[in-house]
Amino acid sequence: MQRRDFLGFSIAAGFSMAGLAGCSKSGPLVFGVHPWIGYEPLYLAKEFGWLPTSVALSSGSTSGDSMAGLLSGELGGAALTLDETIRVWSLGTELVVVAVADVSAGADVLVVRPHIAELAALRNQRVAVELNGVSAILLLKILEVAGLGRGDIVTVDLPVSQHAEAWARGEIDASVCYEPTASALQREGGVRLFDSSDIPETIFDVLVVTRETANRNPGAVRDLVAAHFTGLRHLVRSMHDAVYRVASRQGIEPVNVRKALATVMLPDLAANQRYLAASGRVEAMARSLSRLMLSEGMISSDPGFKRLCDPAFLPRSVP
Amino acid sequence: MNARWRSLLLPVVFVTGCLTATVVHARETLTFGVFAYRPENIVRERYEPLVRYLAEQVGAEVELEVLSQEDMSRAIAANRLDFFLTNPSHFLLIRSERSLTGVLATLVRRSGDSSTASLGGVIFTSTGRDDINGLEDLRGKNIASPGVHFLGGFQAQTLELLEAGIDIRRMNRVRFVDTHDRVVRSVLSGDSDAGFIRTTILEEMAQASPGFLSQVKVLNRQALAGFPYVVSTRLYPEWPVVALPHVDERDVRRIASALFAIEPEDEAAVAAGISGFSPPADYQSVEYLARTLRVPPYDQIPQVTWVDVLHQYRIWVFTIVVLAMLLFGGALWLARSRRQLATQQKRLKRLIGDWPQPALLIRDGVLVNTNRAAVDLLRYASNASLHGKSLDVFSPEIQPGGQLSRQKMEQILVRVRGGYVEQCEWVLQRSDRSEVWLDMTLAPVQDERETEPVILCSLYNITRRKRAEQRQRLAASVFDHAREAIFITDSHGMVIDANDAYREITGRPLSRVIGRLPPLPLEEGSGVFASARHQGFWTGEFLCKHQNGEVLVLAMTISSVCGDRGEVSHFVGIFSDISRLKEQEQKLRVMAHYDSLTGLPNRVLFSDRLQQAMALSRRQGGKLAVVYIDLDEFKPVNDAFGHEAGDQLLIEIASRMRSVLREEDTLARIGGDEFAAIVMNVQQEDALEGLLVRLLARVAEPVWVANHSVEVSASIGYTLFPQTDDLDGDQLLRQADQAMYQAKHQGRNCYVGFSAPSG
Repeated sequence: MQRRDFLGFSIAAGFSMAGLAGCSKSGPLVFGVHPWIGYEPLYLAKEFGWLPTSVALSSGSTSGDSMAGLLSGELGGAALTLDETIRVWSLGTELVVVAVADVSAGADVLVVRPHIAELAALRNQRVAVELNGVSAILLLKILEVAGLGRGDIVTVDLPVSQHAEAWARGEIDASVCYEPTASALQREGGVRLFDSSDIPETIFDVLVVTRETANRNPGAVRDLVAAHFTGLRHLVRSMHDAVYRVASRQGIEPVNVRKALATVMLPDLAANQRYLAASGRVEAMARSLSRLMLSEGMISSDPGFKRLCDPAFLPRSVP
Repeated sequence: MNARWRSLLLPVVFVTGCLTATVVHARETLTFGVFAYRPENIVRERYEPLVRYLAEQVGAEVELEVLSQEDMSRAIAANRLDFFLTNPSHFLLIRSERSLTGVLATLVRRSGDSSTASLGGVIFTSTGRDDINGLEDLRGKNIASPGVHFLGGFQAQTLELLEAGIDIRRMNRVRFVDTHDRVVRSVLSGDSDAGFIRTTILEEMAQASPGFLSQVKVLNRQALAGFPYVVSTRLYPEWPVVALPHVDERDVRRIASALFAIEPEDEAAVAAGISGFSPPADYQSVEYLARTLRVPPYDQIPQVTWVDVLHQYRIWVFTIVVLAMLLFGGALWLARSRRQLATQQKRLKRLIGDWPQPALLIRDGVLVNTNRAAVDLLRYASNASLHGKSLDVFSPEIQPGGQLSRQKMEQILVRVRGGYVEQCEWVLQRSDRSEVWLDMTLAPVQDERETEPVILCSLYNITRRKRAEQRQRLAASVFDHAREAIFITDSHGMVIDANDAYREITGRPLSRVIGRLPPLPLEEGSGVFASARHQGFWTGEFLCKHQNGEVLVLAMTISSVCGDRGEVSHFVGIFSDISRLKEQEQKLRVMAHYDSLTGLPNRVLFSDRLQQAMALSRRQGGKLAVVYIDLDEFKPVNDAFGHEAGDQLLIEIASRMRSVLREEDTLARIGGDEFAAIVMNVQQEDALEGLLVRLLARVAEPVWVANHSVEVSASIGYTLFPQTDDLDGDQLLRQADQAMYQAKHQGRNCYVGFSAPSG
């Protein structure tokens, strides 16, 4: 579960800035994907041979790989969170959201020391957060709910993987994290005070393609989206089978897969139509997120997109 | 689960068990059916503890029934079972046949430390089979399977193979042997090449006989972390426990709670090889599987109505209908236009074929098509004799222009291929060697697909016109070159055309000819046209003046020319100048009637005049005298001075005698020195005698000839008319002659009147 690992992202972005952007290749749509429960349908589709040859999955270890690939032009599309999508856009690559893979419903957690009983009590506490990742979004939302400003807390910018150690050393009072760090902190006496299920339909994991790919190779994009939904159907309907396959790939216990599945909502085709509509939730969320990210300095320029989502690539029905 | 929990749970179970046992003491027996997926004794051995446990928990007698699928279905139909545990596929079949209360719980199987609520299928063969290593190798192999309604023993594998492109049901090489154990035996004994069994079987058998696993080879092995069994297919939920509707609800609840309460360490669980029961799983994937494979209860092809099809495939149906309509319409249109085209073609063919004008089609310089008229024109029997030949084959070697037929035709064709329409006159030679003049038109029939254009050649027979032209030319040359003047007038006689001879004869320029009357006889004038109109012609000779004033005699014939309705539309006149002819005629006439020396009438004219005079005399009653004069002594003059002198003498004497006679009298020379005269209106014989005396006197006067004065005399005899006898001229002249002889006898230089001899 390393989707929020941004290790290497800056380096990759730096490469792309340095002008190593690959030229756009014709041929299959190369789609960047990294291990995350919401993206598993694509892996399932690949495993069962439901992925047409027009799409080639490029497995990265983190979302940073995918973002760098999009910026360099190596990838025609990738699975990203909505805020990552905005980041890539603000760095100059125009993207189109073609499907919502999952909506976080408890996957992102605020774990606090037991003495912090409510959100308001976060004031002047040291909160560990990976500012460069999706956790930052959750923190911003937490502050919004708590009625606090950035200055009211002490932000400790730390990769999530290091939160447990910092907690053990007593350097932090709260952590914005996700599994498995969240469970680890809870075992150390932490308390789940807030998670993404408290702010439903805010943290989206989406499938994006570059505008260029959408225009140049729409057939492959449709194939990709159809494969995602075919895999998703297997995941939902044959969960008895899917959990083992996901566990095998991610190298974890099937029981943890079940747990992970419990923290996300996997929108089906109809829900996707709803989310991706012009007046849909994703579009609205992306606007408010980009404003927020801009004001917080998480992006340097307003991406200024008119239309982020395009439901045209959704299949009419799952084959 | 840790030990603390278990120690808490056990007393609770015990207490409840005791309570229920006491309360429902006299309860009837509950029957718990378990599907015999393995030999009955094994299954019974395994589930006996579970049933005992349930009996304890529920406080009722619970009876275990281990049944095959068919027996279980029958038992359920007869309501002999209250609960049953079977594989999901069989469950779906039963559910489709009767209503159930739904799944109470799903079995969770245990293997060592791990447990799973999922099952799958295993595809295996014996280790020795080197030829079978993957799914592909199963094509055409004998496969053993426990039965169709085995999820892990048939359906799961079938789907897997189907997705790999192998439909084993179609290959019909699957043998159903009822149980998993028999499948394993069949494969190991070599009766079958491969076998389908559910997960756990291999592990269970390995437990019973160590080393067993080395005898089998699992195909398409799935690497699924955390799944404790070898598996070849995707996974499905484990067996469901199901209650039948007739079972008391409280019993159902108690059984359910008892099932959920089972811990992995419990004797019942350990014996059955399970770790307990979980809440009912979602059997959707099994249903989907059965639907995909079309196995019972989803073996019936759903009754698809047209409405469903329309609903499902409305775009396709619409498209197909539209396409079909377009196709149909197109076909109709095509058929119609083809028919039209055929009719048109036939009409065109007939038109060309029956067209009275000869027409030919030429391609590559040879005839490819000809119509009837063309064949008739050339007098051949059929089209076939013309096809494939060049047109110049049917032409004389040289065309009228002097060009070779072949050369001329080639030149024409080159121009026509260049897109021009050519028209020319052409002569063809018929099969009977006769020639025919034609007006030939050649036009290219352009067709983009053909490099060499087809040339349409149309012929028009102009032989008759040509002949008429020749005749006309001939007529024109007659008109132009005739020596006779020819003119044509309108119906009023005004000249509308005249030839050169006309102008030459009349001396009038053409400007003074056209629109005027032709030369006409003075007395009749344009009346000649009236004659010509009535009689068809008029002919006559008349005098006319040449432009230079010379008098001409013209002989003219005017013919009327009738128009279409029989009325006279024109006159054609022809005349010639006969002036010279007339002159010669005059000369001849003079030569015939006059003496060339003296210019006096000769004997012929004398006789003629005498006849006339006699006729006149008879009519008017006057008298006339015929006088015969013969010169005396003329021969000596002639001999002495020559013929010329004699002639001069005769001329002088004749002139003197003429001057004596009156105008109406005739003097003629009828011999060398003999003259005769007719004296008209003789009233008295005395007057005649006076005249005769004067004659003698004038003759006797000397004549100067040849430088000599010569004197001659004359002897004269005469006779009168009429006489009593009716005499003719010759008789009269003879009488005068006789009288002259008498005068000769009487001494010459005297006259003697005839007197009829007496007697």
